[in-house]
Amino acid sequence: MDSLLEHLERFSEVLAVSRTTHVSTWDPAAVRRALQWAGYLRHIHRRFGRHARIRKAVEQRLQNQWKLEGDSGPAPAPGLANFQALGHCDQLLSLRLLANPALGDAAFHCLLQQLFPGPGVPDAGEEALQGSLARFARCRAAAHMLRFHAYRENPVLQKDSVMKTQAELLLRRLQEVGEAEAEGPGRLLSRLWERLPRNNFLKVMAAALLLPPASPRLQEEELGVGSPRTPGDGRQELLRWLLGKSDVVVAFCRNLPAELLTSVAGRHPELAPVYLGLLTNWGRQLHYDLPKGLWIGTEPQDVPWEELFSRFQSLCQAPPPLKNEVLTALKSYKAQDGDFEVPGLSIWTDLLLALGSRV
Amino acid sequence: MAEDSAGLPSNYQFWMQKLSVWTQASTLETQRDICLHLPQFQKFLRQMYETLKEMDSNTIIERFPTICQLLAKSCWSPFILAYDENPKILIWCLCCLIKKDPQNSRESKLNSWTRRLLSHIVSTFRFDIKEVGLFNQVLGYAPTDYYPGLLKNMVLSLLSELRENHLNGFNSQRRMSPERVRSLSRICVPLVTLPDFEPLVEALLTYHGHEPQEVLWPEFFDAVNEAFLLKKISLPMSAVLCLWLRHLPSLENTMLHLFEKLISSERNSLRRIECFMKDSLLPEAAACHPAIFRVVDEIFRSTLLETDGAPEVLAGIQVFTRCFVEALEKENKQLKFALKTYFPYAPASLVMVLLQHPEDIPQGLWHQSLKHISEMLKEIVEDHGSYGGPFESWFLFVHFGGWADITAEQLLMSEAEAEPPEALLWLLAFSCSPGTGHQQRAQTMVEVKTVLGRLTKLFRSPTLSAGDLQAAAGENRGGDPRPPACQQLVRRLLLHFLLWAPGGHAIAREVITLMAQTDAIMNEIIGFLDYTLYRWDHLCVEAHRSRKLARELLTELREQA
Repeated sequence: MDSLLEHLERFSEVLAVSRTTHVSTWDPAAVRRALQWAGYLRHIHRRFGRHARIRKAVEQRLQNQWKLEGDSGPAPAPGLANFQALGHCDQLLSLRLLANPALGDAAFHCLLQQLFPGPGVPDAGEEALQGSLARFARCRAAAHMLRFHAYRENPVLQKDSVMKTQAELLLRRLQEVGEAEAEGPGRLLSRLWERLPRNNFLKVMAAALLLPPASPRLQEEELGVGSPRTPGDGRQELLRWLLGKSDVVVAFCRNLPAELLTSVAGRHPELAPVYLGLLTNWGRQLHYDLPKGLWIGTEPQDVPWEELFSRFQSLCQAPPPLKNEVLTALKSYKAQDGDFEVPGLSIWTDLLLALGSRV
Repeated sequence: MAEDSAGLPSNYQFWMQKLSVWTQASTLETQRDICLHLPQFQKFLRQMYETLKEMDSNTIIERFPTICQLLAKSCWSPFILAYDENPKILIWCLCCLIKKDPQNSRESKLNSWTRRLLSHIVSTFRFDIKEVGLFNQVLGYAPTDYYPGLLKNMVLSLLSELRENHLNGFNSQRRMSPERVRSLSRICVPLVTLPDFEPLVEALLTYHGHEPQEVLWPEFFDAVNEAFLLKKISLPMSAVLCLWLRHLPSLENTMLHLFEKLISSERNSLRRIECFMKDSLLPEAAACHPAIFRVVDEIFRSTLLETDGAPEVLAGIQVFTRCFVEALEKENKQLKFALKTYFPYAPASLVMVLLQHPEDIPQGLWHQSLKHISEMLKEIVEDHGSYGGPFESWFLFVHFGGWADITAEQLLMSEAEAEPPEALLWLLAFSCSPGTGHQQRAQTMVEVKTVLGRLTKLFRSPTLSAGDLQAAAGENRGGDPRPPACQQLVRRLLLHFLLWAPGGHAIAREVITLMAQTDAIMNEIIGFLDYTLYRWDHLCVEAHRSRKLARELLTELREQA
């Protein structure tokens, strides 16, 4: 076991180096060795896939690398994310070396000989590396072709294939990182928030929160998880972080479409009061312009009436617990304002009037 | 090898031109053209590799100065890169260009260029979906981690859209328009053999839109059929049925592929032919749908006519029919379709009798079935009824080849003094040549009767000589020489005799040597023995001694041939 873990550490180092200019010092023998190690780890993955103890040990060692990252600096790209990644670690290494211009010519030549021996070499048991790399190339071309020629954005966000994939990967990573330490997911999410285009990230978060809960058995296979975990752990982490960050949750509630937010609030009741609170604040910013007969804001960033209305409308079309919560709140605000029936005095009255028969 | 390298330069020019056109603009026309040429282009690439691997990189550049353009253009086209084995072959070709230790700047430049292109093939950054790439980079995932998942999700999403069409018809918003379905079938052409695409291929094959014309690209069907024949993909029966029903050329190609196997240089045993047959899924498909049976049957029929009754084709028909009947019975207890839909040129009563398995009838009653068959056939053939001519009836009869041989065996083993029944003689004569008129058939019957008379007398004899048999089979003095079909029939009777008569075993080899005066006759004898063993296996005939002899003879003769 110890030798295995040591191997793992050494290989992780090699993998990290394989992206850097350091490989210029590698000779053909080093390349061969690196590939051999990768082959060994792949063999481990194959043999011990069902062996919970070994898997757990490997996973823990791999997750340790997350602990070492600080908040500052660019995110390093860890090589092996989880036990499952061992299954294609040779592919990973090969791709990095192939793409690294710093690798010397002689070493590169050796790499090619190892990876692509040509036709007529019988596959040694498992699919040979040249086959799997070729398949991977086809896979990428296929995704591109589908995206380019046959893809149509699915209006249901969490069913859109690109969004769904990103959401699944986010949740998977959150779970993996959460295993290593409790602060992990939060830090990762903050980093993502800083580095990614906000709009896209918000959508991915929403999609992740709306993904159907995976069956535990499926998760086990997909994530290669050894220890039993409650499904949706990643979701909990995400929600917790979201609710804890005021600027993020404001952007979340402001920028995403009404229906989407209603769905998320419906699925995750913890969000509802926060969302409602924000809507209430935004509503209170508006005042009634008597000549125009409209509710308008003073600042440019105020939420306009139409948007406020459409959000409330969407919430009132949600199934019971949420719908009732919203209506109760509206009615109570209306009461606090004096319980007028006449328009123009309380925005809550006007909202309720506009929502009308739908209420 | 000399021919190849001569042909290569002109091929090379041809493909360079094609690539220039293909990479100029990606229109529907160019995509169609690419798809049409994908298999040949792959062959060409393989040829190129075989040539390049013998040379070093400087020689390559001398011989093929535009090689870099060729390879680059191939790699930049997703349709080409996605097809079957192209990525592998292109990589191999590029590997030939790499120098272990470049001597000058030109060689270095070539190395870097080649390395970049290699890296492009496997890590196609140009094809990356931007949002996904950045996102995963920050998450710490490599493309190897997320691309398979992305592809899977895209396929799942398309599958659910296709299913929507089935469920909701016109009403659903998520319905795929016919253009998109067609477009999807176009993209699938290079990707048919990618395992992740299998469910999509299946869904497209079984897709039934509401449009009157075929929505899928014909090249798609061709690609699927090719891949299926070469066993590069596996499809469930329902998908194969759709493929063949919607695209006749696929069915025809499958038959061609089968014939190539049947008429190959090595003599295939019927057991192996049965394996091919079942593997091809043709009998099962024919059982599921009469239209397929009719097309297959028609192809067999015309091939039989074109090859003048080649024994390999005949064997193919008989094996096919046996597998077909097996599949039919497994399918359902009652026939879903009336027999008439499968055999429109024959009365149902005749078909029913022919379809019976002899092994289901007690041996003592075989006589009766044979008489029945004979009478019905005779009525059709000689009364020129409404059911096609004598050829059609004969063609139907030979589907179920076993009956003719059972007739021969029955006649041989009957009592020496008894008169052979006319009906059985007629059947035997009919089975060996349909085209002959009433006159010739009658003559054959007389000949056969005479030979049988002599053979049945010799049957119980404990000791026999080859000479006895020769005399028995000898022609009547002073008559016309026997027509070849009749001669063949007599040979068959002799062979049956050798296998069944107690005294026949000792003289078998000698007699066969005397009979096999030409290669054609030798092949005929081998075919007979193979067929007899095959038949006995299915009939569950005991007859240990006869079987042993037949097997031994077959092995010996095969080795000699």
